[in-house]
Amino acid sequence: MTTSPDLLAPRPTHAADLRTGPGASAFPVRIDRLGGTGALLLSGPSATDGSEGLVGHATRWGPLPAHDGARVRTLLRDSRLDGRGGAGFPVARKVETALLAPGRPVLIVNASESEPASRKDRTLCRHRPHLVLDGASLLARALGADEVVLHSHRIGGSPSGPLSLAIVERVRAGLEDPAWHLSEGPDRYVAGESSAVASFVDGGEARPRFTTRPLAVDGPSGRPTVVSNAETVVQLAVAARIGAVAWNSLGAPSSPGPRLVTLAGAVPRPGLVLELTGPGTIGDLLTAEGLGAPPAAVLVGGFAGTWVRGDEAWQTPFSRESLQCVGASPGCGLLGVLPHDACPLVETARIVRYLAGESAGQCGSCVAGLPRLAGAMDALAAGTARRRGLARMDALADTVLGSGACAHPDGVVLLVRSALRVFRDDVVRHLAGGPCRAADHPPVLPVPDARPTPTTGGDAWR
Amino acid sequence: MTVRIDPTRCRGHAICALFFADGVELDQWGFGRVLDDSADSSRLLRKARRAAAACPNGAFIVSEHSTPAARPVHTG
Repeated sequence: MTTSPDLLAPRPTHAADLRTGPGASAFPVRIDRLGGTGALLLSGPSATDGSEGLVGHATRWGPLPAHDGARVRTLLRDSRLDGRGGAGFPVARKVETALLAPGRPVLIVNASESEPASRKDRTLCRHRPHLVLDGASLLARALGADEVVLHSHRIGGSPSGPLSLAIVERVRAGLEDPAWHLSEGPDRYVAGESSAVASFVDGGEARPRFTTRPLAVDGPSGRPTVVSNAETVVQLAVAARIGAVAWNSLGAPSSPGPRLVTLAGAVPRPGLVLELTGPGTIGDLLTAEGLGAPPAAVLVGGFAGTWVRGDEAWQTPFSRESLQCVGASPGCGLLGVLPHDACPLVETARIVRYLAGESAGQCGSCVAGLPRLAGAMDALAAGTARRRGLARMDALADTVLGSGACAHPDGVVLLVRSALRVFRDDVVRHLAGGPCRAADHPPVLPVPDARPTPTTGGDAWR
Repeated sequence: MTVRIDPTRCRGHAICALFFADGVELDQWGFGRVLDDSADSSRLLRKARRAAAACPNGAFIVSEHSTPAARPVHTG
């Protein structure tokens, strides 16, 4: 563990995340990877050491604190722990909502990590399974739940393997844990969305559901259902060890706790997960990986995230509040780096085409709108679009935005809008003179091949 | 009272727009979107109930409680 005395100092009251000027944070910026001495969550054995066993885990972290439910809820409130799956919803509020609703709460830890380029959740499950299980155990106590479902996608190297081995160790050691259930669902982008996961766990299809009340009030089973991302529960396990105040101060002043980031695209080691403590900028994170100057642009938060101009991203602290200032959000923690010699419109078009195929095929304007949006983006990338087409694309985006049962279409619209805004010069060039020279650049971001949306019925969503 | 259209059930028949014309907007494919989800006058409520009864897919929903709509979010 790499906590130092200054971590226990009170948090500054300023909301400024930048390290210079008035209100500068007193907390040092540290960036490290699995096994690094500058890491906290990722401290311990290195990536080549495989899964950390219970003995090693208990030696480094000590036993799981014997907090009762009320104490865990206080910890959630005081730490201001925010969900790390993308939405950043305060975990304390989710838990309190579930406790006010009738019925015994269901707890699902979501390790789906549907974002194709993100690696943080599977890294945690694979290398630090006992931190995941510790956190899940604590959250179960907060909810008064005596069982926990650990859900992931049915893929090669799924988190279920290392988690099940860790569960065997814990059962043998006689730890006071909830009953564990491993669950694996279809490997589709929207199948990791919380209502889709809850539906699958309840025996239904892994497709997002139209809900009139939050899952924490009324899940598919009729019981309050809390779906919590794998990193979120790991953060809880760590906060329980070091205390709410110390954990909270490891973030930026506006953003509680350490953050995990996955790098993708034009970086030395795509897929590398970095842990950031303190108010570090995207530039700090990229510098730690050997980049010497701002790239052309950074895709922040995931495929359904936001493009930010490279020089702007470089100076922006990786915290919710600061990213908001540049129109972005931490999302799943993905940073996709676009080099200066690649075509941003080609990259965006590939992502939009992929995401269009990843619709659950349930909501009309998602089914009708996303392929058209992808077509318009393809035409723009290929240099065959006209100004009129661009106007139609904007109207289409308006129609699609907010039309779905889940936020999938919204994410695609935000991506497209950010591309049109950030890459305005490229758009003008493509409209005027056909495709750019960079169009032949090999693909930068690891976008999977687009697949058609499976039809309703059948077992594609089971 | 709250009025909603379940987009997973809506098939664009647009019948709700006949009965609940003031409160529903149709997109280019005929899929409906509720403009104002609170049907607080009894006249509006009558219209909303008629629209709900007429929807062939049960997508038009009038609910007694007025909890704000939940937008499912990504957690993984």
